[in-house]
Amino acid sequence: MIKIAQLSCGTEYSSVQYEIEKAARSVGAKTVYPDVSAADVNKAIERFGFKPRSAQLKLMIARAVQLADGNYDADAVFITTCFRCAEAALVRNELRRFIQENTNLPVVTYSFTERMKASQLLTRMEALVTIVTRKELLARERQAGLTMGLDSGSSTTKAVVMLNNKIIGKAWTPSHNVVESATQVMNEALEMAGYEYKDLEAIGTTGYGRFTLGNHFSDKVKLIQEELTVNSKGAVWLADRQKGEATIIDIGGMDNKAITIRNGIPDNFTMGGVCAGASGRFLEMTAKRLRIDVTELGALADVGDWRNARMNSYCSVFGIQDLVTTLGDGKKFEDVAAAACHSVAEQVYEQQLQEIDVRHPIIQVGGTSLISGLVKAVGEVLGERPIVPENSQFIGAVGGALLSSGFL
Amino acid sequence: MSAERETRLLMICPSAKITPEMLVRSIHSLDINVSLKETCYGCLIEGTQKDVRDVVEYVRQLEKNAIFTKRRAYHMGDPVRCRARHGTRPGFSQLEEEWSKLPVIKAGLDSLDRGEKYVDSSKKEKLSVVKLKEICEVK
Amino acid sequence: MKIFIDPPNSMILFDLVERFGHEPLSTMAALQEKIDNIEVDMPPMNVTLDDVVKGLKYAGIEVPSGVRGRLAIWGPMIEEADAAIVIEEAPFEFGCVGCERSELMVKYLLQRRGIPVLKLDYPGDEEDGKVFVGKIKEFLEGLN
Repeated sequence: MIKIAQLSCGTEYSSVQYEIEKAARSVGAKTVYPDVSAADVNKAIERFGFKPRSAQLKLMIARAVQLADGNYDADAVFITTCFRCAEAALVRNELRRFIQENTNLPVVTYSFTERMKASQLLTRMEALVTIVTRKELLARERQAGLTMGLDSGSSTTKAVVMLNNKIIGKAWTPSHNVVESATQVMNEALEMAGYEYKDLEAIGTTGYGRFTLGNHFSDKVKLIQEELTVNSKGAVWLADRQKGEATIIDIGGMDNKAITIRNGIPDNFTMGGVCAGASGRFLEMTAKRLRIDVTELGALADVGDWRNARMNSYCSVFGIQDLVTTLGDGKKFEDVAAAACHSVAEQVYEQQLQEIDVRHPIIQVGGTSLISGLVKAVGEVLGERPIVPENSQFIGAVGGALLSSGFL
Repeated sequence: MSAERETRLLMICPSAKITPEMLVRSIHSLDINVSLKETCYGCLIEGTQKDVRDVVEYVRQLEKNAIFTKRRAYHMGDPVRCRARHGTRPGFSQLEEEWSKLPVIKAGLDSLDRGEKYVDSSKKEKLSVVKLKEICEVK
Repeated sequence: MKIFIDPPNSMILFDLVERFGHEPLSTMAALQEKIDNIEVDMPPMNVTLDDVVKGLKYAGIEVPSGVRGRLAIWGPMIEEADAAIVIEEAPFEFGCVGCERSELMVKYLLQRRGIPVLKLDYPGDEEDGKVFVGKIKEFLEGLN
C-alpha cells in the first residue's frame, strides 16, 4: 500500500477530507499524517524559517520537517490548503519546494474549495501513485529504439514516431472515432518515418481514449498513462528543459491545462472548465469574423496592439458582439486580432493560473501555441515570453513515445 | 446509548502521585457501568452521561486537583482518531502542551483550597521611547 | 450557565468551567453530535457541504472554505453562550483551532454579542497559575 503523507489545513472543515481519503484509496494508496510532538513544532518552525500565525500551518511545517529528516516513512506527499487563503498559499508552495529539495518524495499540491472536483483530485492522486510506482520510468530523459506515442485527445488525435531520441514521423487529425482516428494518424506518421507497424518496438497511449487504444493495439502498447505525467515528460523533452522548474501551459480548443513541474515531474496542475472565451475557440471565432484562417490570426496579432481595440467583454458570445462593434468603429484588423489574443491570455490568467504558482520558464504547448500572437499575449500577461518548442502540439504523443521506450 | 453517550479523557497531572493503572483500577472498583481504556496519560471512559459524570465526580476527589478531564467527540477506540492507523491527528499536540501546564493549574487550585488570595501583578508595560532615550543619554 | 471556551477544545478550560459548576460549550460536544449522526457518513467529522454553506452566515463566499466550516461549528455555540473565557495568544492551538483568521473572527463575534468575556493568558509559572485559576473562579461566581 502506498503511503501518501498529507500536509493540510482546513480539509476537515471544508467537507473535503473524506473525498481525499476516498481518492487515495481508489488508486491503491492511503493518507497518513507524519507523527509530531508539540516540542517538534517550534523547532521545525525555527528550522524552516517561516512563522505562520495559524497553528495548523505550523503543524504542516513540522510534519514536512519530519519527512525531510527521514523520521517518518512515506512514499509521496500531498499538500493541500484552502483556496484564497494567502497565508496557506505561501506555506503550501514553500513546503512543496522544501520537500523537493530535501527528499526524493514526489509532491502534489492542491488548493481546494468546498466544491472540490472529485475528478481533479483523483488525477492528482493517480499522478502521485504513478510517480511512486514508475519512478525509474519517469527518470528517462532520452528515447531509445523505435517507438510510437498516441495521444487520443477530445479534440485532436496525434501520433509521433521516434527513433533513438529523434522524431521521424508525426501526424494529427481532428478526433472522431477513437480507433479510426488513431489508426489514420498512426499510418501517416509511419509512412513519414518510412517504417511499418510491425517494426514498432513499443507504443505508449495517453489522452482520454488511452484505454481503448491500449486494448486495440495490445500487441504493441507497453504504456497506458494519464496525460499529466506524459505531457510533462513530453514538454521537457521538446523544450530541452529536463532539469529545474517550469510551467507548462496548454490552451486547448475548449479547455486549458497548466502544469507546474520540477525536473520533468509534475507537482500541480489546473484544468479549465468549459469557457470558450478562455480557449482557442474564441480565436477561431474571431478569425472567422475577420474572414481569415485561424493560422493567420497569430501573425496579424503580432503586429497589432490590443490597447487600440479595447473590448468590454471576453465572453465568446458577448465578446464576439463586442468585436463586431469594434470592427464597425473602423479599428484595424491587426489590433482586433491582438485584442482577441490578449483577451484569451487574460482569461486564462484570471480563471486558472490563480490556483497554481507560476514558475519560470513557461513552456507553451498545444495547437494554440502555434498562434504567435497568443504566445506574445501570454508573455505580456505573465511577464515573460513563453518558450514554444518545435512540435509543441505533439507533447502527449512525444511523451508516450519517450516513456514507452523505457519498456524495451 | 448514542443520544446521551459521553466519552471522556481523564488526564493525570505530571506532578501527581497516582498512575494510570491505579486510576483505572480505582474506577473499576466502583459499581458504575462505564467502559475503560488505560492510556499513557490516564484513561478514556465511555458510558451514559450520568454514569460518566458520576465517575468524574469521584475521580476529582481521588487525588485532589490532580486529575483533569474533557469530553471527546469520538467513541473510545474510534479508528478515525487512532494514532496507530495514520499518525497523530491535529488535536494531539495541543493536548500534549496542555498536559505540561497541568502542574501549574494544580498549584492554582491547591492555593484556592488553602483559601489564599492571588496577587495579580499586572503586565509590564513596554519601555517608552522617552525613557529609553533618557537611559541612553545617561550612559 | 453556558460558557463558551476559547480555544474551544481546551482541556484546561473545559475542566475548570465544569469544576466550578458551569457548563462548558466545546468543540468536542458540537462534533459529537455530527459524529453520532449516522445518516451522514463523511468521516472524520461529518462536516458536510451544507455546514460549509451555513458558514456563509458569518463570512462571505470569498472567505476560504475552512474558515466558514469552522465558524459553522462555533458560531451557534457563541450564540448560545451566556459568557465566555478566552485565552489570548494561545501558543498552541491545533486542530479545530488551527486557523488564525477563524480565531480572530471568534473573538470578534464574542465582542459583538456583548456577553461577559474573561480574557486570560496561559499561565507560565505557579504564581501565574494561581492568578489564572483565581480569576476564572471569580468570573464564574460573579455570573450567578
